[in-house]
Amino acid sequence: MNADLISRLLVGVNHVTWQSLVMLAIAGLLFYLAIAKDYEPLLLLPIGAGCLLANLPLSPMLAEDGLLKVLYDMGITNEMFPLLIFVGIGALTDFGPLLENPKMVLVGAAGQFGIFGTLLLALALGFTKNESASIGIIGAIDGPTSIYVSGKLAPHMLGPITVAAYSYMSLVPIIMPPIMRLLTTKKERMIRMPYSQRTISRTTRILFPIVVTIIVGTLVPFATPLIGMLMLGNFMKESGAVERLTKASSGEIANAVTLFLGLAIGSTMVGVTFLKPSTLAILILGILAFTFDTAAGLMCGKLLKVISGGKFNPLIGAAGISAFPMAARVVQRVAQEDDFENFLLMHAMGANAAGQVASVVAGGVLLALMGAG
Amino acid sequence: MGNIAFGLNINLIGMSLVFGLLLLLWLVLFLIGKIDNLPFMKGGEKEAISEEAPAGSYSVSGRQADEIEPDLMTAITIAIAAHVSSRRRQAAPSMRMTVPGSQIFASRWLAAGRTRQTGGWTPKG
Repeated sequence: MNADLISRLLVGVNHVTWQSLVMLAIAGLLFYLAIAKDYEPLLLLPIGAGCLLANLPLSPMLAEDGLLKVLYDMGITNEMFPLLIFVGIGALTDFGPLLENPKMVLVGAAGQFGIFGTLLLALALGFTKNESASIGIIGAIDGPTSIYVSGKLAPHMLGPITVAAYSYMSLVPIIMPPIMRLLTTKKERMIRMPYSQRTISRTTRILFPIVVTIIVGTLVPFATPLIGMLMLGNFMKESGAVERLTKASSGEIANAVTLFLGLAIGSTMVGVTFLKPSTLAILILGILAFTFDTAAGLMCGKLLKVISGGKFNPLIGAAGISAFPMAARVVQRVAQEDDFENFLLMHAMGANAAGQVASVVAGGVLLALMGAG
Repeated sequence: MGNIAFGLNINLIGMSLVFGLLLLLWLVLFLIGKIDNLPFMKGGEKEAISEEAPAGSYSVSGRQADEIEPDLMTAITIAIAAHVSSRRRQAAPSMRMTVPGSQIFASRWLAAGRTRQTGGWTPKG
């Protein structure tokens, strides 16, 4: 055996770099979080797999016709995957609690402050305008919106932004309660809010997605793909006429696209481009965005408490983010720590549904302000 | 410094736009909610129900399903969750020879134990 043959046989080993080894460890960490900790396993596991496959030496999967490259071009470059996921989310979301209590949209609006506050911090740290806006969108606490916006404004940062968005979404029950306890008094947390269920007619439920799409799409054309797909899913669900399509959108299609999306995002986490100080900064700014959102929601809740003469529990404000329905459940849990018979869940669900719509609107507004084409 | 000014500007305009749009949405939602209170809407819903459910019969239409008491809904949800967890605990349905709960039903773990007791894998005699 000559040296040339040996070198050809060991070509893979020879191309192992310290960056690829670190990325394999990160893939392992994502697997651990997904399997052992159950943090968004449906997405973190495929992302980890994509990361692992992309960082193997001379990975053919990243070549021109490689599967990961094809998936990326097919669904991330043109934003198809996040939009298809949105159809599924729409088909799974019940906007009834929001229709019962429309004033909750204010809480949803306040919950988007993290986007703009983080954008400011990112600019101060020296990121470009488009990069800062992409980092800020982590504050939407909405995976598909983050992917959609950052894919348009800063595609080179898609990997860390997506990982941050989904990781922090899964950490809602850990990150939010301390902020909620810090910014509210026990007396405020114990405010009880009676809930009287109002029957929402089928006509109203069907009209809601159509009207919201027309209004938001007309006023913020950049948000049309996001709101359009979200509301399409909801429209199909509420119409009751296309049960098979609704089931497919929220089941098989969403599952298949989630797998493809995860692999494609994972493939962007190539060691040479991922292992930079900016990635660490993105992860830190992401958690700050989350904190700002929660704090702004709580402040809005306090304002509504004053306006309502002390009848509004400020904790509801923390549910004005897009992590549906996890944020609402956390609000209920924190409220019950001080008063076991305090039931805020349905109010919080209304705020949470508002957060879902508001994050899409905020994403569209951000794209419009940044002049994305 | 220019970037910070830009950021502050975006903050101000962005949050104002988000609040403005959602306030408009609030108004629209409020108006949509009023649709249910219109007299012809109430009549229409009643007619629809009476057409679907003739006197003396009972059918669960979409509207009736919406009116399930919260307590009952909670009880149903808990029952479904318990049922699902019990199904998961037992063997996969495709692996079952008998209906769960029957006298001869045994989980895979139990079945494996019985097999080991009754028929050792070392040849006898």
